[in-house]
Amino acid sequence: MIELAHVTKSFNAGRSNQFTAVSDVSLAIRPGRVTVLKGPSGSGKTTLLTLIGCMARPTSGRIVLRGLRPACLATGNETGDVEITSLPERFLTGIRRTTFGFIFQHFNLVKGISVLENVMLPAYPIGVNHRVFRNKALGLLELFNISRHASAPIDWLSGGEMQRVAIARSLINDPHVIIADEPTAHLDTRLSREFMEIIGSFKGEGKTILIASHDPIVFESPLADAVVEMRDGGITGKTDEP
Amino acid sequence: MNRSLERHRNIIDFALSSLLRRKGKNISLLMVYTLIVFLVAAIMFFTHALKREASLILQDAPDMVVQRMVAGRHDPIPINYGKRIAAIRGVSAVRPRVWGYYYEPVVGANYTMMTSDSQAQGTVTIGSGVARTLRLTDGDLMTFRNYNGVPTLFQVQKIMPYESELVAADLVVTAESDLRELFNFPRGHATDLAVTVGNPRELTTVAAKIVLLLPDTRPILRSEILRTYDSIFDWRGGMMIVMLSIAVLSFVIFAWDKATGLSAEERKEIGILKSLGWETTDVLLLKFWEGTVISLSAFLVGVILAYGHVFFFSASLFEHALKGWAILYPQFKLVPVVDGGQLAILFFLTVVPYAVATIIPSWRAATLDPDAAMRS
Amino acid sequence: MRKSTLFIFFTSINIIFLILLMLHSWTSLRTVGAFLRPCTDIARELQLTDLCLFTEARYTRNPSMADLHAPFQDHPLALEHFPSGSLVTPLRVRPGAL
Repeated sequence: MIELAHVTKSFNAGRSNQFTAVSDVSLAIRPGRVTVLKGPSGSGKTTLLTLIGCMARPTSGRIVLRGLRPACLATGNETGDVEITSLPERFLTGIRRTTFGFIFQHFNLVKGISVLENVMLPAYPIGVNHRVFRNKALGLLELFNISRHASAPIDWLSGGEMQRVAIARSLINDPHVIIADEPTAHLDTRLSREFMEIIGSFKGEGKTILIASHDPIVFESPLADAVVEMRDGGITGKTDEP
Repeated sequence: MNRSLERHRNIIDFALSSLLRRKGKNISLLMVYTLIVFLVAAIMFFTHALKREASLILQDAPDMVVQRMVAGRHDPIPINYGKRIAAIRGVSAVRPRVWGYYYEPVVGANYTMMTSDSQAQGTVTIGSGVARTLRLTDGDLMTFRNYNGVPTLFQVQKIMPYESELVAADLVVTAESDLRELFNFPRGHATDLAVTVGNPRELTTVAAKIVLLLPDTRPILRSEILRTYDSIFDWRGGMMIVMLSIAVLSFVIFAWDKATGLSAEERKEIGILKSLGWETTDVLLLKFWEGTVISLSAFLVGVILAYGHVFFFSASLFEHALKGWAILYPQFKLVPVVDGGQLAILFFLTVVPYAVATIIPSWRAATLDPDAAMRS
Repeated sequence: MRKSTLFIFFTSINIIFLILLMLHSWTSLRTVGAFLRPCTDIARELQLTDLCLFTEARYTRNPSMADLHAPFQDHPLALEHFPSGSLVTPLRVRPGAL
């Protein structure tokens, strides 16, 4: 469970071009379900995702991860609650690594290196046995039907294939939560539906999924358990399936 | 421990992949870097070894050599000066030396002519370099033109060993009477006087006494003779300064390329890495290895090649540079010797600035929130 | 093979090689006397004061015997001998000497 309480994020605070991307958002994201953030571009969806994914700190407000008990923290209270807004950067990175798998809108794959290496990248600094996570990466490529491209440079792949690499990369550290930002933006209908099928399989494994999208294929999908509407940095509506 | 090692190896893996993305640029950078290290290390090894050999070979030089100066120029010294010097307390022996230079116009070479009591009249003992230049063997005849231009024949009695070229390559040793006749050397005079002093601690005192007694003389102590070779190839010398400046400038240029900040692409990539869970220290470690892979390899390969060049191939590349206009240049092998301190300095010059220049510009980007890094 | 394995292998080989060369230079210390004997014998016999490195001019051939005027004695214009002129510096004058 991820709880947000009065979260606000402003850029260039105090200056003339101050811009509030997220304003006073309170939200509870239930575990094991698919939550979709719906809204036009500029509504603060991406910013909210980066805040939840431990990639930026809110200007004010709290974000608490409940029941996750990340292994990197020696002391957590018994219930396994972690308030990420007050953590120093070191621990934040550890949580980001082990808890979240992020799929970016523009994929953000590293150019010039191979597909396999791109997938293995998040696991490099952890220091696990190389052969172990290499095989895991190959397994993930196999799962998404792109293992034939394993040693190809990333630049040679098509948009759909790149997205599958991005998805595989997000899974290398076995995260509990998958966050996807506009995943279907560069995909056609067929690939978009394939993507939702993959999401369905994640949900089946018990992962929590958070997607930001203005694509009806995503927010009107039967898989979406909760749809949160956002506009101008605030939540304007919420539909929740019990 | 294992995890830490694995982490370093993984990061080195990525650093290498990163460098291989720009294969051509990085390989040529590596080659040029290695070349500069090679040159500096070779010069270092060569000069250090030569200085050490000089100090070993010349340790039996005369305690003191006394020259005479006339109108500020070196002139033959009267032999009776030697008798007066021998009377000074502390002086155990004085030997007049008759020696000079001979220019051979046929090949354009300069010989150093010396005398020895054991040399028979009409014969010469020549250095290996002279024999090489004129293609002479034992028993051959050599022609010398005397002060009047009249040719005189000498027979080569012996050729000095090849291994002695460093001191004797251009030597021609004759009997004293032959040399005096050849040059019409003023009678009762010698080129200079070799003075032996019983107690080495009295050298400066004796030298002072000599100058007092004979104000137109100039004593040269053995310590000064040896000091000449300590300051040979001094880094303040013209050619050395040029070489070292080139090297330092090159290192600066290499580091400059890195230090002038990251491109937008590099900054974005750091943001991506951070968003994947790489900590600031991981990113800095990556940048460190990117730089160190090149500088460390350049240092190791450059130094190894320099050692081989100087001590196994007798610094053949330098021969052309050092020979200059000389016709006669000695061939010699140097005894291997490495100055650890100089090598350490070279290591720090090579590796540290480059590593620093790679890390520092990345610092700012590495500490930013990944979100901010990716947006910028 | 992993790239890092190759790099570590390459670097280790180089380091080992470098250490071997250092050992080579240290062991040569023992034989340096014998190696230089041909030179030291002749130097002692003839009481030589200089190495035979640069034979173009008097002051480059016998730098320890030369003084600041020696180059000028060669030629009024004292044309520079390159590179020996810039590598060999004249004897530094002892304080109190002529």
